[in-house]
Amino acid sequence: MSDAGAGGRADRPSTLFSASTLIGPATLLVAIGILAPMLFLARYSLNLYDPRLLMIEAFSPANYIAFFSDPFYLGVFFTTLRVSFVCTAVCIVLGFPLAYLLARTGSRMKNLMIIGIVIPLFVGNAVRAAGWMTFFGSRGLLSVTLMDLGLRDGPTEIMFTETAVIIGIIAVNLPYMVLTLQSVLEGIDRNLEEAAFSLGAPPWTMFRRVLWPLALPGIAAGTILCFILAMNAYATPVLLGGPQFRMMAPMVYNQFQLNNWPLAAALAFILMATTLGLTVVAGLMTRQSFRG
Amino acid sequence: MARLQLEGLSKRYNEFYAARDIHLDVAEGEMLVLLGPSGCGKTTTLRMIAGFVEPSEGVIRIGGEDVTWHPPWKRSTGLVFQNYALFPHLTVARNLAFGLEMRRVEKSEIDRRVHDALAMVRLDHLADRLPRQLSGGQQQRVALARALVVRPDVLLLDEPLSNLDAKLREEVRIEIRALQQRLGITTVMVTHDQEEALSMADRLVVMKEGEVRQIGSQQELYERPVDRFVASFVGRSSFLRGRLADGILRTEGGLEVRCSDGPNGPAAVAIRPERVTVAREAPSAENVFPGEVEHVSYLGGSIDVRVRLSPKDVVVAQMPNVEGGWLPQAGDRVHAGWSASAKAFADTETEEGTAQVS
Ligand SMILES: Nc1ncnc2c1ncn2[C@@H]1O[C@H](COP(=O)(O)OP(=O)(O)OP(=O)(O)O)[C@@H](O)[C@H]1O
Ligand SMILES: [Mg+2]
Repeated sequence: MSDAGAGGRADRPSTLFSASTLIGPATLLVAIGILAPMLFLARYSLNLYDPRLLMIEAFSPANYIAFFSDPFYLGVFFTTLRVSFVCTAVCIVLGFPLAYLLARTGSRMKNLMIIGIVIPLFVGNAVRAAGWMTFFGSRGLLSVTLMDLGLRDGPTEIMFTETAVIIGIIAVNLPYMVLTLQSVLEGIDRNLEEAAFSLGAPPWTMFRRVLWPLALPGIAAGTILCFILAMNAYATPVLLGGPQFRMMAPMVYNQFQLNNWPLAAALAFILMATTLGLTVVAGLMTRQSFRG
Repeated sequence: MARLQLEGLSKRYNEFYAARDIHLDVAEGEMLVLLGPSGCGKTTTLRMIAGFVEPSEGVIRIGGEDVTWHPPWKRSTGLVFQNYALFPHLTVARNLAFGLEMRRVEKSEIDRRVHDALAMVRLDHLADRLPRQLSGGQQQRVALARALVVRPDVLLLDEPLSNLDAKLREEVRIEIRALQQRLGITTVMVTHDQEEALSMADRLVVMKEGEVRQIGSQQELYERPVDRFVASFVGRSSFLRGRLADGILRTEGGLEVRCSDGPNGPAAVAIRPERVTVAREAPSAENVFPGEVEHVSYLGGSIDVRVRLSPKDVVVAQMPNVEGGWLPQAGDRVHAGWSASAKAFADTETEEGTAQVS
């Protein structure tokens, strides 16, 4: 395939030229805007911290060793992973049916539904989290409603718990998942579902054998997106989790504030490497199962 | 293999009937073709049989059993889609195995039946290809094999040939028909191509606006159409319009045409082009009228001659292309003749003014 493409391009060198012209600025922006700060961070993470001198030039793995030997940091790390996994899993489970509905309904309803899904994205994370705070608090809507319904005797305190953070992050991430899945599901011919039915597959089998494998690229994309967003969530854990609840992104920021740049850089790198690593693994896994 | 019966089947969308009071009885091993213009409810009917559209009224029986409310996966129908709908992520062999796996057939048995089914459509060498690596004609045959490999009671084909080019279409047409007859499988096919319908069917069903107009063999539909619509849709006809009284139609152009008896009043007589003789001297026939050749189409096997008989009346004749025969020219003065057996129909429908052969 690539051979044919190259042959085609060789006949028309102007295409090649214009393509590189178009890609050029973006490449430059990525190089300067992302790569350069990362290099700085990488370098910083190997420096040492001193309360008076702040940063001391060095080539030491001390920050990384500190992280992996300290139960506090590891605790934060695993909380972040746990929250991210739970959020992503729930987003898939909730997002798939919603995306399917969107992909298969008629045009007028669909546009309304898409608007409904996109509108929350217009509100910033912090503002949204503030909204959840009024909902979750002990005198908030949820607690009062549960008491009014007689489901709970005392006030329900979700605010400043992991549950609140998970709900908050799901609310932020779900639209991304739904929109990603929807675009993929829309590309799956409806006749394929009917073909499976007429060959004797009941709905659940049809889903497992046809819809799921065909939607897998979209599921992978949505999962990765959702997971990255959850791993790096900042405003939601800070506002809904409260001072006792910690995730990685807020902790990186804390260390910067404490002027411990080397540790902050190391934390940032660990966060990034984990996210990247799991993303690659997820990508490889979907590719494998798509072949098999 | 089983008998398929539709009893008073209707599908209503709000006030609109996509299919209305359809009665069909398809015998075991018979091939029935639903024929009709776009939007007449052919696909709707087929999808009700397959179970994808819930009937508003009526009963569907397969092999005598009432399956009206069975879901699609519990009916033994094999459906071939217009766009084939092969599973793009599965190889040809696994596409075929799908239905067998759903029926929990043993692995070795699956392999054997998949192989046999592929051999049947002469594609055994492509078993490990993905659908996108096949030509349209090959995909079509895979789709057919996939539907047949599970040995369904009823085979349903929705315009199975419409995505093939003309030459291939004729080939596949013969192939499908031969296969259907060899397996003796009860089949319902949908098409709006009358040539396809005529060449493949045991019996045809002509539909219009959701209703069945006529059911019968090719010959019955051609020789004894029940109304003007069927006469215009199956085969070609020129229509002369006027008032019918006692077997004579008086056209607006002043012709008096002898025809089969019909209801007195506004009527149209359908004249098959190949039954019209055009000659310079008046031929011997019950209806003979002088006229002027308006247009000649040289089609190779035959020649279409359009003759104006009066300012209001035009008839088309299909002349055999005889070696060294006479070839009329536009503007020639000629005579057109045909027998009195031409069918007359009550002329209530207006929109069929356009159905005249051109
Ligand atoms: N879901 C639906 N809602 C409303 N009307 C429908 C629906 N499905 C079909 N129809 C209408 O029912 C009529 C019959 O449709 P159908 O698809 O059966 O036609 P068809 O004979 O298969 O035509 P074609 O040859 O174009 O495929 C059409 O007028 C169509 O607009
Ligand atoms: Mg149709």
